[in-house]
Amino acid sequence: MQGNNGFTGRVPMTCEEFALACLEARSASEDSALRQAVLEHSRKCPHCAALQVNLQTLQDDLRYVGLETKDAEAPSRVQMRVMQEFRTKHRTAKARRFALIGSWGLAAAAVVVAVVSWTNWRHANGLSVFPGRAGTEQTAKVDTNGPSDGQSAAGALVVGDTLVASSASGDFTLLPGSTPSPMEDATVVRVQMQRGALGALGFTVNEEHASDLIQVDLLVGDDGLPQAVRLPETVE
Amino acid sequence: MPIETDDRDDVLLRRSAKGDQDAFALLYRKYQAPLYRFALRMTGQSWAAEEIVQEVFLIVIREPRKFDPNRGTLGGFLYGVARNRVMKHLERSPRDLPLTEETDDGFSPDTLASKEMTPVEWAELHERRARVRAAVLDLPVEFREAVVLCELEEMSYEEAASTLDCPVGTIRSRLHRGRALLLAKLEMLREVPRRVHAGQ
Repeated sequence: MQGNNGFTGRVPMTCEEFALACLEARSASEDSALRQAVLEHSRKCPHCAALQVNLQTLQDDLRYVGLETKDAEAPSRVQMRVMQEFRTKHRTAKARRFALIGSWGLAAAAVVVAVVSWTNWRHANGLSVFPGRAGTEQTAKVDTNGPSDGQSAAGALVVGDTLVASSASGDFTLLPGSTPSPMEDATVVRVQMQRGALGALGFTVNEEHASDLIQVDLLVGDDGLPQAVRLPETVE
Repeated sequence: MPIETDDRDDVLLRRSAKGDQDAFALLYRKYQAPLYRFALRMTGQSWAAEEIVQEVFLIVIREPRKFDPNRGTLGGFLYGVARNRVMKHLERSPRDLPLTEETDDGFSPDTLASKEMTPVEWAELHERRARVRAAVLDLPVEFREAVVLCELEEMSYEEAASTLDCPVGTIRSRLHRGRALLLAKLEMLREVPRRVHAGQ
């Protein structure tokens, strides 16, 4: 039988086996047969007995050295530094999470405000809030053909993105980019112009009749700029 | 939820990673002392041991996902990190080994001196232990680890093998070789210990 220490089990053991058994201190202390063989060899061999004494001394010294630092532990300043780092890391992470949530919240609020403002602006300008739904109506245009075909633009008020002037109801249609102002500050001016000039005011014009002369009522603000337009019933 | 002291390490680590300061404090209290002793005994310098313990726990704070419970225990992982830091420290200052005792290096040589000793005996003992410490610190790292864990920290072979992530046989042979090297280094002391032993 040969253990981890190389001892073959035969008695007496050799000096080499003795040295191995001594260096393998734990096995020697656990195995009674091995311990007996070690004791017997040390009685017969003074050199190995000296080795055993030295090994025992070394074991004792190592144990003492171990005991010297048995209760050693990291100073409290290490714990303070580590705990501070822990708090900093997790506080920063929490703050970053709050900042992220906050910024998303603000962005969502900004989008909501923008949508509401846009909707209100569309309502205020008499335009459809859902341009897509007016797809079929977008073909409706200002009928500025005048009396030539006996038709007027009566009834065509707001159709999708196309600006349509009213002539039947007597209402003015706001020009793009102008804001309604009190009527007492405005003046209605009737002018004669070529139908094509309505295009410059943002209206869709039938190109075939662009050169026709028509009469147009302009609502001129106190700044002298036209704010709205209306097609009177009679066109000269 | 209150923390139970018998909570498993991986549970504590998970809670710590989520910002639970109590869980982290428990982990720190559980492992700081053995890690500090290991680093102190491997480097022989208290300032280095402090730094190493701090770095180990900073990794626990910053990169808790580095620990995989399927690969071993948290203790083994922390010892592994500490070992790496010890190696780096030794590479940086391989010859910076204290050959004499310093009162502020974490060792307390006076605590084990018997009051019944004569001044000469105390001086001999004092000197011998200082040389044993120096001899341990002068061992090659792999043998030093085995000696530190099995002799100084009094771990079993199995615990040391788990800590160093190597087979038990490797620990056994390293310890065996480490003892032989120590014996060779301290051979000059043969007469002194014998005298001291005889006197005790």
